[in-house]
Amino acid sequence: MNAAQRQPVETKFEPLLQFEMEMGTFLSDWHHCDQLSTYVARMISHNRTDPVRHSNFFSSALNELLEVSFRGGSPEGRIGCAVYRQGPNERVKLSFPCPPGHRQFFQEAVARTHRNDAYARYLDAISTDLAPSREVILLDLAINFDASIRLEEDKPRSVTIVVDLPLEGIVS
Amino acid sequence: MSTAILSTPFQADFDANSQEFSLAGVIRPRSVDEIAPSISAFRSAIEEARGVLYINVKRLAQMNNTAFHAFSRVVLDACRTRSDIRFVVVTSSVVGWTERMFRHLGKIEPQITVEVYDSKFYPGQSFVEDTSFIPILRTQTKMTWRHERTILPRHGMRPGIVMADICCGIGDFAVLVRKEFQPARIVALDHSKASLAYARDVAANFGISDIEYTYGDASEMLLEDNQFDLVTCRHSLQIFNQRDLLLKELYRICKPGGRVYITNEKNSHCLGEPRAQSIQWTYDEVARLFSHFEMDVELGPKSRRYLADAGFDDILVESFMVTNHDGDPQDFADVITAWENVYAGEMAVKRGDPPEFIERFRQGFRDHIFAALHPKGYAGWPIWAASGRKPL
Ligand SMILES: C[S@@+](CC[C@H](N)C(=O)[O-])C[C@H]1O[C@@H](n2cnc3c(N)ncnc32)[C@H](O)[C@@H]1O
Repeated sequence: MNAAQRQPVETKFEPLLQFEMEMGTFLSDWHHCDQLSTYVARMISHNRTDPVRHSNFFSSALNELLEVSFRGGSPEGRIGCAVYRQGPNERVKLSFPCPPGHRQFFQEAVARTHRNDAYARYLDAISTDLAPSREVILLDLAINFDASIRLEEDKPRSVTIVVDLPLEGIVS
Repeated sequence: MSTAILSTPFQADFDANSQEFSLAGVIRPRSVDEIAPSISAFRSAIEEARGVLYINVKRLAQMNNTAFHAFSRVVLDACRTRSDIRFVVVTSSVVGWTERMFRHLGKIEPQITVEVYDSKFYPGQSFVEDTSFIPILRTQTKMTWRHERTILPRHGMRPGIVMADICCGIGDFAVLVRKEFQPARIVALDHSKASLAYARDVAANFGISDIEYTYGDASEMLLEDNQFDLVTCRHSLQIFNQRDLLLKELYRICKPGGRVYITNEKNSHCLGEPRAQSIQWTYDEVARLFSHFEMDVELGPKSRRYLADAGFDDILVESFMVTNHDGDPQDFADVITAWENVYAGEMAVKRGDPPEFIERFRQGFRDHIFAALHPKGYAGWPIWAASGRKPL
């Protein structure tokens, strides 16, 4: 079964917010990750049961994704991020340009979040790796935020990561 | 992008006396080098510590994976070389993901455990968060609102402002304020999940969806700095044992030029006629009873000093008397009955008071009720409302 067949019906997710910017601009300052995640989290959380805590959780997850695109993205093209909602779940769809060959890397990292040994790999990475790899960050989202992660088929030289976060259930 | 959302720098401190290393704020470095000084401070703390090192992350609002790995590495390495030391990570129930993340460390090294900080750290919290308080709070607010609705505009309340009600209880003040003054945004925070659930229910029944009820600890809030035009904190400074800490937080989230508004009581000044003496005796004892549990229900007139010491200027203090003649005297009587139940029925018992004392203690409340319901009687409950401006 390929990724496209596994997709849930898109229409059930309502769009909440989306932004796009030149990748070059995004990459010009590391703090953009923190600023954008804080801002987007605040905007989309205001009507959740506990807006402040929802925003804190969401910002954590989104920041990690933005950091992944900051570290792995290439400067030509645009980065786009859209947030959707369906009941207690938020979906983040993040697209950004990346060097050739990186898509393959992301596919493997995403596939590992679905494997049975995901937690063992995560613990192993915390206890042995010097710095977190992109794979560990995706594992972190899957394990600490109960995220389910997939990749969407995309133009060459860019990736689109789709992350579903059931935060309302965790927060309240 | 406005600069208002720039994250504040984080803090890393070691307190050698309590062997506690604290991390607070937002830690989102691009590389470990950016946090190298904190990492080496952490290493030295571990070297210095004997027995148990506490790692306090209660006020850690955000930490990225880069920082988490860097700090984790240090602890895990220490576990491998030092079998004589244990680590206790103290997380907050408010920031749920820190608990989830730090728990993994205990799976790797059993020398690391995680404790979730909760209400047991406040001496009087169990009484205050008691759900039996809910109906009293409601009637109390109904009675004080008659006064506060005219007082509030002098303390910075006006349409269109961004405000927070800290220690909001069951949230009825927020609902009343929203209706009367139409602020642009209201955040209402409390540490009682039962009160918040009640607040959300009430709001939903009135079709109100724009009050942001949030679970939090007023002395360690997740709210960002300099956000609110008006921060209210009603009847709550008096129940905290660490009042400076709470005021510091109220100050922090208030915008420069904005105001912090607090209301507090002076219980020994509750009064009534007839039977003034018995009433007086009981309320003097109420003040003593609360101070036994490190709460100061005599705080009202000290508001000016507290606000000045916390750094506010343009301080305004006023007082008003809620009486049996404000609305229905039965409301007043109901509030006193509830006080009697909690103060005499629970707190005095907990303090270990003898039955004779408790009986006399109860009598004063009954006499206050008698005064309130007496056709020629008068019963009063004085409140101090005060506010100060955060300097520009
Ligand atoms: C005396 S009640 C006042 C409630 C409300 N402001 C009113 O006037 O009706 C005190 C409130 O403070 C809350 N509280 C106590 N400790 C707290 C803390 N650490 N953080 C937030 N709220 C707290 C209690 O749950 C309670 O709702």
